[in-house]
Amino acid sequence: METVTQGATDAQTGSAPTRHAALDALMRAAQAGDERAYRALLEEVALRMRRLVCARAPWLGRADVEDIVQDILLALHSARATWDPARPFMPWIAGIARNRLADHARRYVRRQAFDEAAQDLAEVFSTTPGQTHAEGVVNLMSVRRAMDGLTSGERDAFELVRLRQMSLAEAATKRGSTVGAMKVAVHRATLKLRAAVGRDGKE
Amino acid sequence: MRTEDLIDRLARDGGPVRPLEAPVRRVLVWLAVALGFAAAMVWAIGPRPDLAERLTEARFLYEQSAALATAAAAAAAALALTLPDASRLWRFLPVIPGAAWLGTLGLGCFRDWARMGPDGLRLTPDPECFFYIALIGSLPLLVLVLMLRRGAPLRPSWTLGLAALAAAAIGNFALRLFHMEDAALMVLVWQVGAVALIAGIAALAGRAILRWPGLPA
Repeated sequence: METVTQGATDAQTGSAPTRHAALDALMRAAQAGDERAYRALLEEVALRMRRLVCARAPWLGRADVEDIVQDILLALHSARATWDPARPFMPWIAGIARNRLADHARRYVRRQAFDEAAQDLAEVFSTTPGQTHAEGVVNLMSVRRAMDGLTSGERDAFELVRLRQMSLAEAATKRGSTVGAMKVAVHRATLKLRAAVGRDGKE
Repeated sequence: MRTEDLIDRLARDGGPVRPLEAPVRRVLVWLAVALGFAAAMVWAIGPRPDLAERLTEARFLYEQSAALATAAAAAAAALALTLPDASRLWRFLPVIPGAAWLGTLGLGCFRDWARMGPDGLRLTPDPECFFYIALIGSLPLLVLVLMLRRGAPLRPSWTLGLAALAAAAIGNFALRLFHMEDAALMVLVWQVGAVALIAGIAALAGRAILRWPGLPA
């Protein structure tokens, strides 16, 4: 009991090696059937993954983020026998997370395949150099950086219309704005993003 | 569902699990099962009458060892791809024995041609190869799929494609022990072709067969 509590604390607040060793210990206990250790591990993984997804895909809504986090937890659960206790836990969970994130990213692109937005996204991601497609899709850092260059109105409009697939009228109602203003904001945001990411790609 | 509820459910469902055995061991177990089944099939169908003679021929032995090595490498690669912390480069492991296999047969085509002229490269239909390779590969593939399902379906198309390559290569290995066909071009087109076709079809079915399970009941 004591060790589990200590392990859970170490997993959150210890130094990097302690943290990793604590996760290894929790996972080892979880494989042995220790429910408390397993719960602590799942909570810790959920926390980290939520932080990671929010950082990489700031345009995702809360529900979408939780969807991805839950998917990673489920994958961890069903694959838990594939972890070799002689090896570190971090690369193992990273492998699972990368896989689930890539699948989700694919889904997002696909969902928008029939929309202009897909073209924008594909363009944005294909200009990220030196990565496989899936990793490029997952790694939204350059998009995020580019998003920082937008005004808040432009960012809002782009997120609602292009990423969440609302119609201009819906987005306008939601923001208390007009269709025309939304249209202009989305257009400006698209131009700015394209310019910013294009610059990134050439670096 | 809220994430906290999911964690609660998973924690309660998470009884003790036995970590998977080392990949090398699992490959050996699979090879033993696959070769055992192949041997039984060869025995049931009846080995070729000139088998003893063939077994003294370097070329036949090269081809058979390359087929067997391809099977082992493909099975190892398929199993490794279901481990989240294994390198993704594993999928290319069968390239080395596979190239040796195609190489010996390609060289064989030249030899046949040099020895017999155009006759050595005659291509006649031999569809039963496909049937036998699929038949003998079926149980090994089933066993391998069951083993793979204990892992994580991280790259389902590659995993199932490699698994089928392994099983079909075993099928081809066995086929050569009872089927009287040694012309390199015939083996290359009808037998290795069948192996490649089976692996390709399996790769397409990968996503349907190797999937992440849903919520535990």
